[in-house]
Amino acid sequence: MKKGATILLLGLLLATAAFCGFYYLGTASCRRMMRGPQPELAWLKKEFKLSDAEFARISQLHAAYLPQCAARCQRIEEQSQRLRQLLSQATNMTREIQFVLAERARMRAECEAEMMKHFLDVSRTMPPEQGRRYLAWVEKQTFLHGQAMEDRHHTEGGSQPAHQHQM
Amino acid sequence: MKPNQTLEDDQRLRQVLRQWTVNPPLPPRFKEQVWQRIARSEAQPAPSLRGSLARLLEVVVPRPRFAFSYVAVLLVLGVAAGSLAAQAKTKRLDESLGLRYVQSLDPYRAGPSNP
Repeated sequence: MKKGATILLLGLLLATAAFCGFYYLGTASCRRMMRGPQPELAWLKKEFKLSDAEFARISQLHAAYLPQCAARCQRIEEQSQRLRQLLSQATNMTREIQFVLAERARMRAECEAEMMKHFLDVSRTMPPEQGRRYLAWVEKQTFLHGQAMEDRHHTEGGSQPAHQHQM
Repeated sequence: MKPNQTLEDDQRLRQVLRQWTVNPPLPPRFKEQVWQRIARSEAQPAPSLRGSLARLLEVVVPRPRFAFSYVAVLLVLGVAAGSLAAQAKTKRLDESLGLRYVQSLDPYRAGPSNP
């Protein structure tokens, strides 16, 4: 009976050890990536199979883009605050509100154009095949894929408007 | 002895054998004993779970072939489960890092605190 119990226990211990060992080995690269200073860029390197030189160039582009992006976001936020202020006092559409709306839309368009330019710069730094894959991926993941506003006006088929604005 | 007479004797022997029947007497209380044996076999208790487990541990598990198969199957299950769990974890992490990359660049995909 003791021998049988020992065999049962040994089997369970071996199974547990195998599970832990393979889990540990299988997640080692992830843990290494998460310990790095910029895990999301490390992920980009792994996902799009970048060389060290390509990765260094993309890291530079990334670092240069972020402060400009933050500055644009700051300006958009200022316009949004100004708009909220004007709307809190207004009862009719004024020329100033129209101007702030237009200005904010212009800044958003500029932000999107700069983002697109950054994506294209990054894709050109990659090997051609990976660059195309990167662009297709960012298109799905970002504003390029479409907005809820546009989607709202389409049926599931995507061609017929679901409803019309009241003019 | 003539061949015709031999043939005739054989036929007679066969006829006698065909007609011969044996009716041995049954042992005393034969029926009663049969019913008692049936009753005894039905009254035997079913093996308990504990007994079965004890038998499994004492007799079945220590058999080399069973022990080797058991350990091998558990080992393979452990390896497969560990690999699958690691794969799932890596996939989840990849998705989350991809999202983090996009959120760092696209303010429209960032959290609610960003514009």
